Amino acid sequence: MAAGRYLLRRAGFALLLVAVVSSASLVLVRLAPGDATAAEALEMTAEERARVRAQLGLDRPLLAQYVDWASHAVRLDFGQSFLYARPVSDLLGERARNTAVLASSALVLATLIGLPLGVLTGSRPDTIGAAVTRALSLLALSVPPLVAALLLVLLAARTGWMPVGGMTSLAAASGTWGAWLSDVARHVPLPALALALPFAATLERVQSEAVADAVAEPFVRAARARGLTYGDAVRRHAWRASLRPVLGIYGLIIGSLFSGSFIVEVVTAWPGLGRLMFDALRARDLYLVAGTAATGAAFLALGTLIADALLALADPRVAEEREP
Amino acid sequence: MTPAPPAADRLGAPPAPVRGGTLTSSIRSEVRSYNRISARDYPTELLATLTLGRLVRVNRATHDVEPWLAESWTTSADALTYTFTLRDGVTWNDGTPFTSADVAFSFQAVYDPSAKSVLRNSLLVGGQPLRIDTPDPHTVVVTFAEPFGPGVRLLDNLTIMPRHKLEAALAGGTFADAWSAATPPADLAAIGPFQLARYDPGQRIVLDRNPRYWRTDERGEALPYLDRLVLEIVPDQDAELVRLQSGQIDLTQQQLRAADVATLRPLVTQGRLQLLEIGVANDVDHFFFNLRPAQWARDPRRAWLPRREFRQAISHAVDREAYADTVFLGEAVPIHGPITPGNRLWFWPGIPRYEFSRDKARALLAGLGLQNRDADEWLEDERGTEARFSLITVRGNTQLERGAAVVRDELRQIGVAMDIVPLEANALIKRMLDGQFEAIFFVFGATDLDPALSPDLWLSSGSAHVWNIGQRTPATDWEARIDALMAEQARATDLAERQRLFREVQRIFSEELPMIHFAAARLYMGVSARVFNLSPGFARPHLLWSADTISVTPAGPATSQ
Repeated sequence: MAAGRYLLRRAGFALLLVAVVSSASLVLVRLAPGDATAAEALEMTAEERARVRAQLGLDRPLLAQYVDWASHAVRLDFGQSFLYARPVSDLLGERARNTAVLASSALVLATLIGLPLGVLTGSRPDTIGAAVTRALSLLALSVPPLVAALLLVLLAARTGWMPVGGMTSLAAASGTWGAWLSDVARHVPLPALALALPFAATLERVQSEAVADAVAEPFVRAARARGLTYGDAVRRHAWRASLRPVLGIYGLIIGSLFSGSFIVEVVTAWPGLGRLMFDALRARDLYLVAGTAATGAAFLALGTLIADALLALADPRVAEEREP
Repeated sequence: MTPAPPAADRLGAPPAPVRGGTLTSSIRSEVRSYNRISARDYPTELLATLTLGRLVRVNRATHDVEPWLAESWTTSADALTYTFTLRDGVTWNDGTPFTSADVAFSFQAVYDPSAKSVLRNSLLVGGQPLRIDTPDPHTVVVTFAEPFGPGVRLLDNLTIMPRHKLEAALAGGTFADAWSAATPPADLAAIGPFQLARYDPGQRIVLDRNPRYWRTDERGEALPYLDRLVLEIVPDQDAELVRLQSGQIDLTQQQLRAADVATLRPLVTQGRLQLLEIGVANDVDHFFFNLRPAQWARDPRRAWLPRREFRQAISHAVDREAYADTVFLGEAVPIHGPITPGNRLWFWPGIPRYEFSRDKARALLAGLGLQNRDADEWLEDERGTEARFSLITVRGNTQLERGAAVVRDELRQIGVAMDIVPLEANALIKRMLDGQFEAIFFVFGATDLDPALSPDLWLSSGSAHVWNIGQRTPATDWEARIDALMAEQARATDLAERQRLFREVQRIFSEELPMIHFAAARLYMGVSARVFNLSPGFARPHLLWSADTISVTPAGPATSQ
């Protein structure tokens, strides 16, 4: 019951987050210097520019435009993109699916890399393997995503191990569903790896500290006293106890991954939400920026919600502690 | 496997272009629309070039006007009326005959306010629309309101749209939204060498050969040679270069950056790439001050900052050779006006020049009362106001930022301080349009190489007359004189007379220096060695403007991954 109320409250918070982020995006882009007509301004007469601004609603007061947009947005109608002359919702639908494919893959990769390495460095901190892992984690955290993505693209181009970018090849794009899926699977490792590396490093660091704390707990010592090996005690007891802080940051990781990384998507030509938002921002495409921000915030909120639910399931005290 | 002939051999007319194959190019941005009359972004323009047609076209390699969908035309004695004869047997890709009704419809769409045409201003003569008559399905009569120097060259601006597909949209007032990027290929029509096969948003645009394309080569073989043309959407320039190096694309739409030219040279030596020099760029970096009188009315620097001698001093103070070497790594030529040697017909080698001379610069500044009156390195006027101004440029544009730094260092040598303020492009444009700046360093291109077709820069009322934009009446005598000369040269029909008048415009411009120019880049394109029969052009699309005659060797196609 407490868990249900807790999750309901979190869902309410998620909706509020989406509303605030999308509204703030719209208002900030509208207030920023320049508008959607700027790129072509030198090719337009003053009258033509005024006409285009009026068509886009940029001559209206900010409040009137915002109220109009918000009243439609609650019905998931985010308006018409200035840039593409298409409904924002259609564009979001196309791109959100692609970002979800990339983000899921990156999440799996980050988990598969980060958690085992975290357990290793947390439980056996004095080994050479742990030292090397910690150094690599630091490196992965320090390298900007732009550099990591470019390095991977270069590596792919030089070796031919992976496609250098894009989501599908032309042949697969017009083939069967199975062919499409296998083609996407061939394309996804490069951007997923570029995206996953810093998150894998974060997970490794958090998992490592949590395991290090857990192995010092009395129940682990008791388990060892009952005759379990150190490895078994870590696997059966310490790891489970260390999950709480790790699940705590999963929400943020899921949200960050699913809201789209424009740098990785631009460099690897992945047709996702991040790239759409980047294009929209550059073109001052007001409604498209607000729409992509709303979708990103929704993913972030959903990620947090999933992480909270997992946390509540793994440790029911969480919901009780957070109930007023 | 046929070995690829040496790159240099392929730039002429190869003996036998090969029919078939796929050419893969990159493109930086997404297509917004297939409706060229209502959208002016580059992908829309490129797709119009590839799938649609014009009555006449300007050959991007020779600069000449050549017949296209119209096979010939005659001009009336008063040079006001042009009678075009359309080609026989031309059809749209769905089999509908192409007739004069399509031409009349396209003009109607251009001038109809509901169509929100972006081509309207480029198809006015003397501020008036052209009159179009279609006495029969194969004849179009175009009448100008007054004599117009560029003549039929003007019609290169008009993309012909299919009446049978878009007539209902124009009648219903929905033309501006017609042919959006979401339109299925079956709902479009093509008359150019290619037809849209599919568009995967964010990934690629695929064009297949139009089997009903009207053009043949000199052997009578149907064009285009290529079976398929793929435009891979690659937004990042570095990633684009990697794809070109690895052979996954055959060419790019954008010219190479100076640093990339050096990177690609080893691949040229290995015979994997061709490096095509297109010529000197026509789009140059413009350095200009705000010359709106209101800007300086209450400014303590009003006695010298808006004066032409100050601008002349800056022009003398910059070593253009060194500028070209530093900013463009040597791949540039010094220039002294906005018309570069790339514009063969209108470039004037005799334009007055400001040779590099710090002494002359200092003398001009001294004439304005600017002297070093204290212990620091900067000049001051009689009131003690320092010779200092701010320059806005585009954040993240390496060429502009590097260029601004060179100018700042040169001005420092003559005691003038310049503070560089990098802004995001949209913010810069807003300040430029609103007149909220002291000086700006920015790149933008002329609408057309013919000055009569790019009046927006030259005329005081023009939208690109950026130092004092959109004046109701000329603010200065010299701007009034340029307005008059431009009007006269636009009306003149004799090319030599037009060139004489435009030289006078350039002379005044050079004397008053509302804009200062330092160097123009030499343009290079990197192209896979498997591509031949190329005809590099002076304007975008530099290579695909003649896509119907491009051919590829059958072996080793670029793979679209």
